[in-house]
Amino acid sequence: MSRRKKILVTLLLVFLPVAFFLGTICIGRYYVSLTDVFLSLWQGITGHSSGLSPETTAVVLKIRLPRAFLGAIVGASLGASGAAFQGLFRNPLVSGGILGVSSGAGFGAALAIIIFNNVFLTPVFAFFFGILAVILSYFAGRIDNTSPAITLVLGGVIIQSIFSALLSLLKYVSDTATQLPAITFWLMGSLASTKTTDMFLSSIPMFLGLLGMLAMRYRLNVLSMGDREARTLGINVVGNKLFIIAFATLATAGAVCVSGVIGWIGLIIPHIGRMLVGNDNKWLIPASMSLGACFVIFCDTICRSITGGEIPLGIMTALIGGPFFIYLLKKTKGRSW
Amino acid sequence: MSLLSVKNISFGYREKQLIFENISFEVKPGEVFCIIGPNGCGKSTLVDCILGINQPKDGTIEVSGRNLKNMKPREFAQHIAYVPQSHTKTFPYTVLDVVVMGRTFETKVFSSPNETQRNCARASLNQVGLKGFEDRLYTELSGGELQLVLIARALTQESQLLVMDEPTAHLDFRHELMVLEIITMLAKEKGLSIIMATHYLNQAFYLENAGVKTRVALMNHGGFDTIGTATEVLTKEKLQHVFKIITTIGTTVADGSTRKYIVPLRNQH
Repeated sequence: MSRRKKILVTLLLVFLPVAFFLGTICIGRYYVSLTDVFLSLWQGITGHSSGLSPETTAVVLKIRLPRAFLGAIVGASLGASGAAFQGLFRNPLVSGGILGVSSGAGFGAALAIIIFNNVFLTPVFAFFFGILAVILSYFAGRIDNTSPAITLVLGGVIIQSIFSALLSLLKYVSDTATQLPAITFWLMGSLASTKTTDMFLSSIPMFLGLLGMLAMRYRLNVLSMGDREARTLGINVVGNKLFIIAFATLATAGAVCVSGVIGWIGLIIPHIGRMLVGNDNKWLIPASMSLGACFVIFCDTICRSITGGEIPLGIMTALIGGPFFIYLLKKTKGRSW
Repeated sequence: MSLLSVKNISFGYREKQLIFENISFEVKPGEVFCIIGPNGCGKSTLVDCILGINQPKDGTIEVSGRNLKNMKPREFAQHIAYVPQSHTKTFPYTVLDVVVMGRTFETKVFSSPNETQRNCARASLNQVGLKGFEDRLYTELSGGELQLVLIARALTQESQLLVMDEPTAHLDFRHELMVLEIITMLAKEKGLSIIMATHYLNQAFYLENAGVKTRVALMNHGGFDTIGTATEVLTKEKLQHVFKIITTIGTTVADGSTRKYIVPLRNQH
């Protein structure tokens, strides 16, 4: 990229999420002006009364702020892990879920809904079963102390199908009046259940994963040359892969456990990033974070304001993401990746 | 002193089924060591041993007096650079992004290449004649240009030893000659040592004629048959013994020197 384009793109990637973040706090069935948003946020930070009605500050601070915050970090996590796994597996068609994290999380959530029917335990179970699925995939695909991309993917496919079979089993035995709808709704993905209290706690794994991926992003370039070449270029292939898988999994599991299964983001966001900044992961990972955050905030805003109820987020990401991706594909004629 | 010293190594993918055994050779600075042999005799397997990808069952490999087995990938990359036989292009990186990967060994886990390293990559691109290719997408290059990019990446490592696995496979005459000229320049002017596995027997004569210290190892199933100069090793009798073909070796005078060449005649029946 030329110097000028770099500056422009950096500005865009920094300011776009900020604009979306503030925008989503304004928009909804209860409209809040941008000035009132700033005043409420100021009140939230300093504690001084801003003179706004309690309804306004409650909508901003208790409902929309946590939701916008989690939407942003969920989008960033899914976008960046997708890009990281595409580089790691040398395959532009994989996403963060390739090692089974989503199916593991889905099973964990269903298990918690059936056994405990507890709002707090569902994300905890989803998180740990998501991680467990990836660990199982890793060991299933490991051969002689190395982990070739192709056997890892194979391991992921196997573990995914086992967990989705187990999930079907749970659905089959669940109570069709209460549990089955809860499971189905969870699987469609939503940010509706976010609260201020779990906003920071549940974002810890995502933050850790994002930081790790940002730090190691150049290694992805080298790893995408293939195991042999990466090794002779001077990196410890097994160790680097393991760390990147761990960070990407932490981020994806963290996202899935608070938002449910949201498809598409890990696949299309990195590709939009590639069109914008090219394939160097030094740029691609931050770009995927920024674009992912924007995309989830955008879709979630539509989900919660277009009808009286809530449309599941997973439906909206696919409905908007699919056609938008086709548009980009036609416009760029498939060049640049 | 030799740069690379291979002592009595044996290797097999399975127990009790060795691909080769008791291979020993040394490579000195400024020397080109050609490994020639029929398909399936274990050339690439041997190359993988030198690259530390295969661990020999017996014997040792030392680079600059240090055992390869005890080297971390980062140290390894400073001593040996590798030009692969084939490369799968997955993402369209720019040429400069690919070449600068040669400096990975000195890039810390959490950092990216800096301007000094990029300048080093640019210098390598100039050396292989690809000045101005920096911002091209490497997926859009021709096979010959890609090979030169991969050589430039290896040069960016600034190691004393280059390992090339069939560096001219799939290249046209012009690019084959370009690669040979680069090899000649690296060995004669920079004093680099090069190990190359090749199927093009005439290349050994080319290098010898160009004044490069050339040694040829003729490999057969199970191990080395002969090691020596191109003239010593590439004879009708030895080629018939190893490749089971009838050849004739001719000479021609061109550009003021006598050049040798091999013409394959027919399979031995």
